[in-house]
Amino acid sequence: MNESISNLPGLDAASMNRRAALKWLSRLMASACSAVIAIPGVSYILTPLLGRRDQHAAVVQRVARWQDIPVSRPMQFPIVGNRRDAWTVHPDEVVGRVWVVRQPGQSASPAEGQVLAFSTLCPHLGCAIQQDAKSGQFVCPCHKAAFQHNGEKVSDQKLGRKNHAPRGLDALECHVVQDDTTQEWWVEVTYEKFEQGLTKMVKKV
Amino acid sequence: MIDKVFDWLDARTNYREILAPVRNRVLPHGPSWWFTSGSCLLWVFVIELVTGFLLMMTYSPSTNSAWASVHFIEQSSAGAFIRGVHYFASHTLIILFGFHVVRVLIAGAFRAPRELIWITGLFLFPLILMLAITGNPLSAGQHGMAQIEVEGNIIGSTPVIGPILQRILIGGDEVGHLTLTHLHFLHVALLPFLVIGLLVLHVTQVYKHGITNDNIGETSQPAMPYWPYQTIRNMTVLAIVVGTIAGLAWTRGAPLDAPADPNLSLMPRPEWYFRCLFELRRYFTGEWEFVATLIIPLTVMLFLLSLPAIDRVFPRRASLVLRSLIVVALVGSWAGLTWMSYATDWHDAEYLASESDSSDLADRARELADHQQIPPEGAAALLHADPKTQGPLLFARHCASCHSHVDPQGKGIAAAEPSAPNLFGFGTTTWIEGMLDPERIASVHYLGKTELAEGEMVSKMQEMFDGVEGDELTKLREQLHKVARTLSAEAALPAQSEGDKQDADVIASGAKLLAGKLHCIDCHHFREQGELGTAPDLDGYGSRAWLLGMISDPQEKRFYPDDHNDRMPSFAKDQQHPDRNLLNPRELQLLVDWLRGEWYVPSASTTLESPATPIPEMAER
Ligand code: FES
Repeated sequence: MNESISNLPGLDAASMNRRAALKWLSRLMASACSAVIAIPGVSYILTPLLGRRDQHAAVVQRVARWQDIPVSRPMQFPIVGNRRDAWTVHPDEVVGRVWVVRQPGQSASPAEGQVLAFSTLCPHLGCAIQQDAKSGQFVCPCHKAAFQHNGEKVSDQKLGRKNHAPRGLDALECHVVQDDTTQEWWVEVTYEKFEQGLTKMVKKV
Repeated sequence: MIDKVFDWLDARTNYREILAPVRNRVLPHGPSWWFTSGSCLLWVFVIELVTGFLLMMTYSPSTNSAWASVHFIEQSSAGAFIRGVHYFASHTLIILFGFHVVRVLIAGAFRAPRELIWITGLFLFPLILMLAITGNPLSAGQHGMAQIEVEGNIIGSTPVIGPILQRILIGGDEVGHLTLTHLHFLHVALLPFLVIGLLVLHVTQVYKHGITNDNIGETSQPAMPYWPYQTIRNMTVLAIVVGTIAGLAWTRGAPLDAPADPNLSLMPRPEWYFRCLFELRRYFTGEWEFVATLIIPLTVMLFLLSLPAIDRVFPRRASLVLRSLIVVALVGSWAGLTWMSYATDWHDAEYLASESDSSDLADRARELADHQQIPPEGAAALLHADPKTQGPLLFARHCASCHSHVDPQGKGIAAAEPSAPNLFGFGTTTWIEGMLDPERIASVHYLGKTELAEGEMVSKMQEMFDGVEGDELTKLREQLHKVARTLSAEAALPAQSEGDKQDADVIASGAKLLAGKLHCIDCHHFREQGELGTAPDLDGYGSRAWLLGMISDPQEKRFYPDDHNDRMPSFAKDQQHPDRNLLNPRELQLLVDWLRGEWYVPSASTTLESPATPIPEMAER
């Protein structure tokens, strides 16, 4: 084949250089055309990384009145916010849930009340943590990660098996605050999400 | 005539020569049943393509519409069957693939010059699995969405590139519209495209090098043409396989879960073909998990890919032993891990309960979608507005720390430490009769564990029965039954509406007893008699309005003002800021409707053509 091409009468030695140049030029133009599509294409695919990021503003919410929370018994509360899903916004939806554990201790005023709040998302792979009344622990239904009521993960020895939790429950900022008008005391939680599967808490961005 | 047409075509396209390798294919050692697996796989894949195209005509990927469109497919003419075929054929593909690989391994069909057949084939396997993974969540059902969320997290926990891939796949950091559009793209465009590309390479290579069967019998046969001697075998197997798929699709159909909803949690488990990895993960924790989900499968894959090279080192005999060992090891470890995973779950009462809840929920979702219209927000909204679905969740979350809701068989939501009445059947005649019984009123099921156990209601009831015997007792019980009927009629429970009409006389005489002889109005208010503030109002006792008021603020004058209230919190006291209450108005109504057994039940006469206005009725228990 090759021979027959190079033996064509129209091709003399002088045209060989020209021919090489034309080949390169063709390749170049083909690459340019591809790039016109490929570069925006890749960028488009990477939208979730490069495109508009919905700022994950932490949701600050009063979850319950102080007096309604029993001591040492974990209570679950929903966090309500606007949930944005690509092209739709769902107003006032449950965007997450928290476990709130009021700490024992005879505090004279709720202002000194100790209360812990944890995200219900399992730090392992993100299933919803449940409370296991029998063992007095938080247990994840997916791979049975177990946590104490103070959020720390239960040690492997104590559990008698491997605990899949890479870290303790994600502790959320939590205060007891007083309402200006009604003077009632509320538990206020700052809800945020953290990356799953890591030994440290890293905020989702 | 027809021959002329073909001649004309051939003169222009040369198709006879092009098709010659197919038409004149010869099997040097004759046909074999063993050779059927490849052809069967190919045709089942074609079935997947065709049914997939058909489903694409209707499916709509978005969180609002995915479930609804799949539900619509189920209602379309032959839709359920086509979806069923698509579903069961996907499982079949995976099973057949296993067979095919085992056959090729035993036959040593990966040896030179067939390495490319082997390699393209091996790459097809993860692609087929990915088609299954990307297909399952498309209906946006509970299981599918939970699975993709976990799978996303698994990808995310792969070192370095994991989080990037996860973000791209999920389309952000939460499962939503983009997850579905991305999965849809992978499932219907990219992956099939890759599979077809590899298949073309695979099949042309098979044609070039022929099928081989070194180690399996029938090798002494004379050479035979492929068509029809092998074809008939292929078609026999294919007919059995397609028959099975069609049978399953016809009788069972593809499952359709309830629409996914983050509020309704579930214990996600992977499909059967991934159970082995799920089990494997148990043995690797923390940051080592990617060993189970990535390194081990990858090692197995690389090992198999390099088999043509490894095999060359061994003498023929030893190689057969080696290959048999590989088959035993692969099949054995797969089966063992899968079995262990299922065995754990079958003994896990919690898991079984979660699965049965989820299938009840799926039934309910389909029932609602069948008889009510799906709103623009999507099918999940039907479940959001359904007291039957939301009631138990709300009750468990807000009420069950004190109240139980268990039927006489002990089924239902049990409080960890009951310290308030069991609300199962609240407002029914039976429930009120228990309240008017000197023993039962003091039991755990009523006031036994409350401060009211020491209160007047209990002592008055006991006094009333003190020293009453024989005929007197029967009479007293009869009177109390009438009172119970009267009070229960106040609740106007949907389940009792017929009975309330029939028993109008009994109810009227009960009202007289209540105000007169039995002295209830000494403490209670009833129909303009008696005072409020000493005991709960009996006007409209257990009715919707009564319950709404009671739960909103039990301290109100109508219910248990001042120190009459034991420990019940006010759930919706703040009228100005409904969102600051423990229960918002919607939740409150759902809870009350559920307690009263007031939810939509399709009546026998409802059909799709005439969607009935939701007539609440008490569901049979
Ligand atoms: S997701 Fe919680 S243990 Fe795995």
